[in-house]
Amino acid sequence: METRTAQKLLEVRHASKSYGAVRALDDASLELAAGEILGLCGHNGAGKSTLVKILTGQVRPDSGEILMQGEPIEMRNSLQAQSHGLAIVDQELSLAPDLSVEENLFLGNIDLSFLRRPGAIRRRARDLVERIGLDVDPRTPVQRLSIGERQLVEIARLVGRDARVLILDEPTATLSESEIERVFTVARELVREGRSAIFVSHRLDEVLDLCDRVTVLRDGRVVAARSTADIADRQELIKMMIGKELPPPQRSEAVEVAAGSGAVIEALTVPPAVQGFAHEIRGGEIVGLTGQVGSGTSEVLRALAGLEPEARGTLLLDGQPVKLGSPTGALRAGIAFASNDRKAEGLFLEKTVEANLVATRLPALSRLGLVRHRALRETARKLADFVKIDASRLGDTVEHFSGGNQQKVFLGRCLDRGDVKLLILDEPTRGVDVSGRAEIHQLIREAALAGVAVIFASTELDEILELSDVVVTMFGGQIVASLPREQTSAELISADMTMSHGSGKEREAAAPAQEGADR
Amino acid sequence: MSGAATTADPIAVRDNRATAIQVALWGSLAIFAVLILFGAFTTDGFLTTTNVKAILSSVAFVGMIAVGTALIMISGNLFSLAVGSTAAACAMSFLALLPDGIVLAIVATIALGAVLGLIQGLLVGGIGANPIIVTIGAASLIQGVALWASSGATLVPPKGDTSYEWLNGHILTIPVPVYILFGAVILLDLLLRRSRFGRQLKLVGENREAARAAGLPTTWIITGAFVLAGVFTAIAGVELGAFNESGSLLIEGNLTYDAIAAAVVGGVAITGGRGTVWQALGGAILIAVISDILLLRDYSEGVQILVKGVIVFAVVILTRLNRMRLES
Repeated sequence: METRTAQKLLEVRHASKSYGAVRALDDASLELAAGEILGLCGHNGAGKSTLVKILTGQVRPDSGEILMQGEPIEMRNSLQAQSHGLAIVDQELSLAPDLSVEENLFLGNIDLSFLRRPGAIRRRARDLVERIGLDVDPRTPVQRLSIGERQLVEIARLVGRDARVLILDEPTATLSESEIERVFTVARELVREGRSAIFVSHRLDEVLDLCDRVTVLRDGRVVAARSTADIADRQELIKMMIGKELPPPQRSEAVEVAAGSGAVIEALTVPPAVQGFAHEIRGGEIVGLTGQVGSGTSEVLRALAGLEPEARGTLLLDGQPVKLGSPTGALRAGIAFASNDRKAEGLFLEKTVEANLVATRLPALSRLGLVRHRALRETARKLADFVKIDASRLGDTVEHFSGGNQQKVFLGRCLDRGDVKLLILDEPTRGVDVSGRAEIHQLIREAALAGVAVIFASTELDEILELSDVVVTMFGGQIVASLPREQTSAELISADMTMSHGSGKEREAAAPAQEGADR
Repeated sequence: MSGAATTADPIAVRDNRATAIQVALWGSLAIFAVLILFGAFTTDGFLTTTNVKAILSSVAFVGMIAVGTALIMISGNLFSLAVGSTAAACAMSFLALLPDGIVLAIVATIALGAVLGLIQGLLVGGIGANPIIVTIGAASLIQGVALWASSGATLVPPKGDTSYEWLNGHILTIPVPVYILFGAVILLDLLLRRSRFGRQLKLVGENREAARAAGLPTTWIITGAFVLAGVFTAIAGVELGAFNESGSLLIEGNLTYDAIAAAVVGGVAITGGRGTVWQALGGAILIAVISDILLLRDYSEGVQILVKGVIVFAVVILTRLNRMRLES
């Protein structure tokens, strides 16, 4: 990159931060040149979030300093961070959904007087929207935009504030492949203008693709800061992150399918997101559901879990019909559901690990309405052991756990094989690091091996290909393709989920095994 | 706090802020405690058994309603603004039914309280209506029906009827309603800690969406909290009817707000999920103690009410400071 200079734009020197006895960040240093994209990698609990919080003024380090263009700067709150040109595109977007794109663009912009003529604002909004390649009227309310478009609006807002360093914290977790490409294009363009970016992600291929350099954290320490050109592949990056090589993913080739068991879904419609979804998930089988954001995968899963009151259609579980629209009924029928939003719709954050693990099992653990404490504790211990959470942490509140451990607690509730017949998982590894991901995949496989029918949704093709026996691709609320894993590929799935098959030849080649497709 | 803001060392600033919050929190708590203790020990007649009994008696009715309110609060649905009306209507129903025998009067009145709670609970828990709006509506409905059914007359017990007198009696010189209150608190505390319902109530209160997604019967759990609140409010209504020996809507007075204040001052989380009935009782007693000190020291009623407001404000600020301390 021609604009790249030796000059350091941003520098973190020897930053440390402890939370009680936990050393979240230990003497971490980081450099960012103008016109550079820096990847920040490490698993959950490695210190990424703490470092990001320090850079955005949300947390102050116990020691160490931050320099901007060689000058030490002070950041006591996020406003101060902003004034130094540091801006974050958060995992949870901070747009006001009811306001229009242009209103959001200038929301909280202190430089802009209310008395300015709306014409000038509109011109600036149009200019910004154009610059990030977004094809929407600035007067559109944000809630009508897709998640990917919202992310671009968020970036435009920061560009409008003249952010010099953009921090992208897991921006792609909720995006489809084509939306990710768009965000990346915008990021590259902004960097060409002389801005810099820090890209925080668990998706290592994306890090290698986008970034010039990468800084790897492990246990709060910087273990590597290298140019991505010197890193051969993601395996090498994983090795740096965990300090050892991961065993290759295991997959039991022969799926033991119990005859007559499992779930049959027919004519499932969730207005307006899903029309006529039909599929079978046999006991012991893992069905992977994928599609772009808005394709209806989430709604299918939520309907099966009883969370979509408008859903119509039939669901048979081991031959027995299950009434849709009642989460309690679904639970009683043996359906376990893990939402893609573990904070809002999954965990009880201020409650203990134990309380979270047994939350759905209280009826079985009570006699005459009174909780049997010993049985409860035993069950919690068993579940904790099953998802590999240290039993000594059963009494801790899950609030302060890392994302991966929170997800394990959440899944622990669903994964017990005793009473679950259908396991429904929406984005089971969102925001979870590589090693946590491997563990969670292993748990899901074990559940399937025990005869549970599993259906999960993921926007990550790697995960779909790694875990599924059958891959179902959706587009616009309908099934586009349903193929055994051996007969599909990343290319084929990407083409299916964007409905962009050239001549359709690849599809014909795979056609014999198709079921329930092209309705 | 601001004095250090200009120094170059950001760590010192952060520590200063954290320390400042700590000092503010523990300092105000200490001042609060000292004031009460000082007031208590220097007020003539405070530390007498008669006075302690008077405090307990004054807590008996509002404490009962505060305990019910605590259940609603723990369920994550704020409170019912209809508890005062419910208590008044129940006092009226109890007196109106007394001629048919006290057992029937008590049972039917408690059933009435349960039904009033059920209706509010189904609206809040079942269709997700806002508890404030629902309970404002419920308060008007209850008052309207009570006024209409009684034709505006004040109800009195039948002449010569002494069947309810035991409610105004004393055991070991302590009024019967005080025993009933402590019995209710012990029972509900066990329910919250040991029962399936209690556990589920706290889960629903902390994160209703998560509870729903996990398949917990959220509608019935929330409705259950409102029904129980209705039942215990009805018991307070029965006691109030017997105590006043007359029943009209005037009984309501400030009961609703006093009950809410007691639960909040006791530390029941207004956001739901956390709290005990002992805390609600503690809050009621604390308020009663302070009112009592002011009363003994001859402050006017205006000052007593004003101080109640100050206590609620103080608790809100202390809770907030404590939250900030935990976060920093």
